[in-house]
Amino acid sequence: MLGAVAALGTTALLATACGGSDASSSAPSAGGWTVPVSDPTATINVLSHLSLKNDKMQDVIDAFQKAHPTIKVNFETIPFDSLASTIDARVANKDGSPDVYWADQPRISALAARGEAEDLTSAFSQYKDTFAPTAYDAGVYQDKLWALPIANSTQLLYYNKDLLKKAGLPEPSASVDQRMTWEQLTTDAKKAKDAGAQYGFLFGQFDRYYQLEPLPVQLGGSPGASGDGNLTPDFSSDAWVKALTWYGSLFADGVAPKGVTSEQTDPAFLGGRAAYMVEGPWLLPQLKESKVDWGVAPQPVFEGGKPATPTGSWSLAMNPFSKQKEAAAIFIKWMAVDDGGGGYIKYLPAPELAASTEGKQVYFAKDVFSSPQGKDAATIIDFETSSTAVNRISTIGYIEFETIMNQMFADVRNGADPKSAIDASTAQLKTAWQKYQ
Amino acid sequence: MSVARTTADRPAPLRRRRAGRRQELFWGAVFLAPVLVSLVVLRIVPAVGAITSSLYKAFPGGIIPATYAGLANYRSLFADPGFNATIVRTIVFNLIINPAQILVALLVAVLLVQRIPLVGLWRTLMFVPVTIPIVGSCIAWGAALNPEGPVNAIISALGGDPQPFFTSPGQALASIMVIASWIGIGYWMLFLVSGLQAIPEELYDAAKIDRAGPVRTFLSITIPMLRRPLLFVLVADTVANFVLFVPVQLLTGGGPQSSTTLLMFEAYRTSFAYGSRNLGAAQVVLLTAIMLFFVLLQFRLLREEGESS
Repeated sequence: MLGAVAALGTTALLATACGGSDASSSAPSAGGWTVPVSDPTATINVLSHLSLKNDKMQDVIDAFQKAHPTIKVNFETIPFDSLASTIDARVANKDGSPDVYWADQPRISALAARGEAEDLTSAFSQYKDTFAPTAYDAGVYQDKLWALPIANSTQLLYYNKDLLKKAGLPEPSASVDQRMTWEQLTTDAKKAKDAGAQYGFLFGQFDRYYQLEPLPVQLGGSPGASGDGNLTPDFSSDAWVKALTWYGSLFADGVAPKGVTSEQTDPAFLGGRAAYMVEGPWLLPQLKESKVDWGVAPQPVFEGGKPATPTGSWSLAMNPFSKQKEAAAIFIKWMAVDDGGGGYIKYLPAPELAASTEGKQVYFAKDVFSSPQGKDAATIIDFETSSTAVNRISTIGYIEFETIMNQMFADVRNGADPKSAIDASTAQLKTAWQKYQ
Repeated sequence: MSVARTTADRPAPLRRRRAGRRQELFWGAVFLAPVLVSLVVLRIVPAVGAITSSLYKAFPGGIIPATYAGLANYRSLFADPGFNATIVRTIVFNLIINPAQILVALLVAVLLVQRIPLVGLWRTLMFVPVTIPIVGSCIAWGAALNPEGPVNAIISALGGDPQPFFTSPGQALASIMVIASWIGIGYWMLFLVSGLQAIPEELYDAAKIDRAGPVRTFLSITIPMLRRPLLFVLVADTVANFVLFVPVQLLTGGGPQSSTTLLMFEAYRTSFAYGSRNLGAAQVVLLTAIMLFFVLLQFRLLREEGESS
């Protein structure tokens, strides 16, 4: 009923088309602006964790300015770790800056609930079918769209052919129908280590929910929370205990190293020191430059489990107090949708997995996918993003959730009993989520 | 004085004196103003702000206005066993680290005022950790105490078992104490060295004549004469350790299994990571109250000792 009223209101506002630069101090709800046919003259402030120089965002911005010469982009970079708190503080100033910001997908529900994101439903829901379903859904909270995805991610199993040969191990199949099991991987990684590899197996990001969530999900567990608004901790099932027990055993048995941080895992594999590694496609360009003789296979699955892989990346959201909503909308649309799958994917020099189906083709045409292993990787990435990807849990309490989960994984890695780690974290999360009840 | 003389053209001496007094007060206020203003702006306003904020409740994030909630934040904090454990942990941490740091700093200070060769070099070496930015020394210690790091390599080479340090709930807080003390001892030592050097030599000569031994001399002369610098060091060290934050944030993130979650870190996490500013304000108010209690206790203990002697 409320939704219907809001929708009616939106239509009425759209019909009157009253233009975008509404300078009222309270957050205007959806409507009041549309994506215009002709470009306005405006300057928009854009906030990102990417930098113009190191991440080569300059190429993307230049391409946008060429396509939309009257809209000037003022691009600002904030380190990833302080991006969320910066958005929090800047949007709360209500002066409308930044107009557009990079939104971490699992935080979108919280951004929407906090009133820090503009409702984009009427402007952009028409593009739903152009995106991978999980990527589009990541921007949805309470049946409304709050952010448009510009990128996606997945995970693959990389292996070092020399180290496997040395241990007399077969190479894992690249076929998604012949997925290795985690159990087999653990055994083989141990053999590779005994045969001289410094590390048997590495996760690209140890202790992070993004990386580890699919493990219990493969065994039929929940993504970590359930109930109304996903605000009830739900990670004490047998599936979670089993997944965490396996995770803890990796370190107890010496298959994976205890003291290696997520920043050190890529260099370890690229330096030929690890036999197996589960990591994202961002490793591909670096592998091309390295001396490692590598192969790629789909991420393993537990015996008797159902394949599930990590996914998700970044979206663009709009400040509800923006005074340049039309120009901001043009920018968001150009980044995510225009130019055959999004200007962001097309003009960023480094290959970045697209959230849109069209953009995926642009991505696969990049030259990292031209080698035989590259072709294997492309097939696997295409399959996982459309068939096995599981989003991180959507909840307004995501920030507390992720912090406590990551700590729980770290505790198990350091030898804590999985069941008691789960119980302690459940209690902690219950307290942290009390404020939302 | 010179200011008073410029307006010394009043007839009656009494009135002149009174005017001079007023002038003096005026200029006193002018010269004190920067201190008073900053005291109000930097201390009183934020304190009142924190207390007020702790009485409100708001949805996390900065957009939706807060509503008055009385003591609800405090009630929910004390209803949480995890938070109560954090308070106990913080107090225990301080009851161990403050006396330990000051005792070691005092022993080192006493050692370094003796006539030993190269005393300047030893003092400098003790002080070096203070000059390294705390973030840098935390990163270095984090690497050194890594499960596969150099300290464990040395322990293994000497035939011992590698230690988990930051990765076990039993050792993480102790490891943090070691790092904090590595920095703190040299710093507090410096104040105690200057305090020791201010004690008149005659007192020690008199003790020698009375045939007092080194322990008796230390207890009856050094300690009482050092009361002022000791009180300062004790209070300042207590405050520093109650708000200790960087090693926890950088090295353990409050874990493993909450074993290093101290109140200061908890307040930071609640306010900035979780965005619950009001609840975080309540935690800060509690932290300040506990800290003030200990500081007042220290003032009282050391003053009473002074009056009885």
